[in-house]
Order: sequence, then structure tokens, then C-alpha cells
Amino acid sequence: MCSAHATVRGLLGEIVARTGNGRDIIVDMEAGLEHLSRGTGKHVSRIIAVVEPYFRSLETGRRVKELAQELGVGNVVGLANKVRDEDDRRAIQQFCAAHGLPLVGEIPYDSTLAEAERAGLPPIDSSPAGPAVAAIRDLADTLVAEKGLH
Amino acid sequence: MRIAIAGKGGTGKTTIAGTLSRELARRGRQVLAVDADTNPNLAVTLGVSGPRAQDILGLPRNLMTRQTQSDGSTKVVFTADPEEVLREYGVTGPDGVRLVIMGKVGHGGAG
Repeated sequence: MCSAHATVRGLLGEIVARTGNGRDIIVDMEAGLEHLSRGTGKHVSRIIAVVEPYFRSLETGRRVKELAQELGVGNVVGLANKVRDEDDRRAIQQFCAAHGLPLVGEIPYDSTLAEAERAGLPPIDSSPAGPAVAAIRDLADTLVAEKGLH
Repeated sequence: MRIAIAGKGGTGKTTIAGTLSRELARRGRQVLAVDADTNPNLAVTLGVSGPRAQDILGLPRNLMTRQTQSDGSTKVVFTADPEEVLREYGVTGPDGVRLVIMGKVGHGGAG
């Protein structure tokens, strides 16, 4: 068991045990899948699998769902990202529908994000009016409005 | 809400995690952002930069202690006060988002 992952898991477990839902916790997970088997996601109530419209990304999303279920996190949703057109949208929707991964939202491809990244700036400050930040704003509204999501 | 953002590398996890954290904080919610990536860069997306970004310490391993259970087996448990840990190791960024970062992952059998 990797102790760095175990420490994060331990901290989250204690926070949840003591403060319950008093604060929102957003965990930026390690790329890939290995961390899931280490249980870093054990104390979250939902896993959002970010998927892009190409097979290996979608396949990773499917595996995230499988592993999360083994971990006991049943609430796994997909989030389409970098969607450029109707073909992209359809590819993601079809794959996710076929594998029982409901989509919680869609973020369009936004070239200004690459610029923000190059400049080392947070997108919310550098391109607040861009379509990607707008979509994440909508996602925040969706999540806040959802009942029963702790 | 407690949400983990997962997916293949390069899909935009960190951008989404950071921006979502800021958006939730702007709605008056208390937000803890956790960078659990072995190559942490959530700070940039959150807008924690400059000297403060250098000050962020990864969570140390000594927060966990090996304890002997009643059946003689041992278990590694988190023994620190979590609020103190957040104060000591976290930094607060724009919109009041608190950020903590996972410590360095060991190599050579520690993983």
C-alpha cells in the first residue's frame, strides 16, 4: 500500500467522519486507474469520469466505473470533454449508453484553455467567458441542485 | 458533495477539478480541493501561484500510525486532527478554496 495515497485516503476519511457534508470535497485523481485500486476514491460519494471522444479515453471511463463499483462507490458518471461537433457528441453518448455510464454534462472544446495552460493561468480567470468555463459553471449548478448528492 | 474526478491522462481532469472548485466556492460553499495526482498541478488551475504555491507541502506520511488491533494484527490508521492538518498543510486560494496536496509517492517497493 502506497503511504502517500493512504494518507490522502486517511485524511478524507477523518474529515468525512467528523464534518460529514459540511464542506465540498473535490479530489483531482491521478491519471489512469491504479489509484482506484488503492482506494483513494473510497470516501467520495461520486466519481466523475472525464471522457474524450476517442476510444482509449472512453475505455478508461468504462474501467473507472468497474473499479469504482468494486470499491463500493456506485455513483459513477461520465463527463464529456473537448467535444468539437455532433460526431464527438454521438461517439461519447453511444459508448456511455452502451456501458451504463450516465453523462452528467458536456464541455465543449475550447482553444482558450490551451492558451491559459501555456500561460500558467487558471481558466476561470483567463477565459471566464469561454465555452468550457461556462459549461463547468453549468455543471456546478447541476451538482448543487441535485438532491441526495452528498 | 464529495467528488473524485478521474479519467485518462490529458482529458482535462485538473482543469475541471480546479474550475469546479472555484465555481462551488463562488456559490458560498466551503470547498476543499485535494490534489491526489503524483504530478500535482491543481494549484495552477485554482490560481494558487507565486510564493504561496511554493509553500504548499505535500501531506507527510507520519500522519498515519501503525496500531495493533485486539486480534494482534496491525492496521495503519490516520491519527492526526484533520482540521489541524488542513491548517498546517493546506493553502487558501482565490474564492477561498482550500487546497491540500498528496505527498511524494515513494519508489522502490514503497508503492
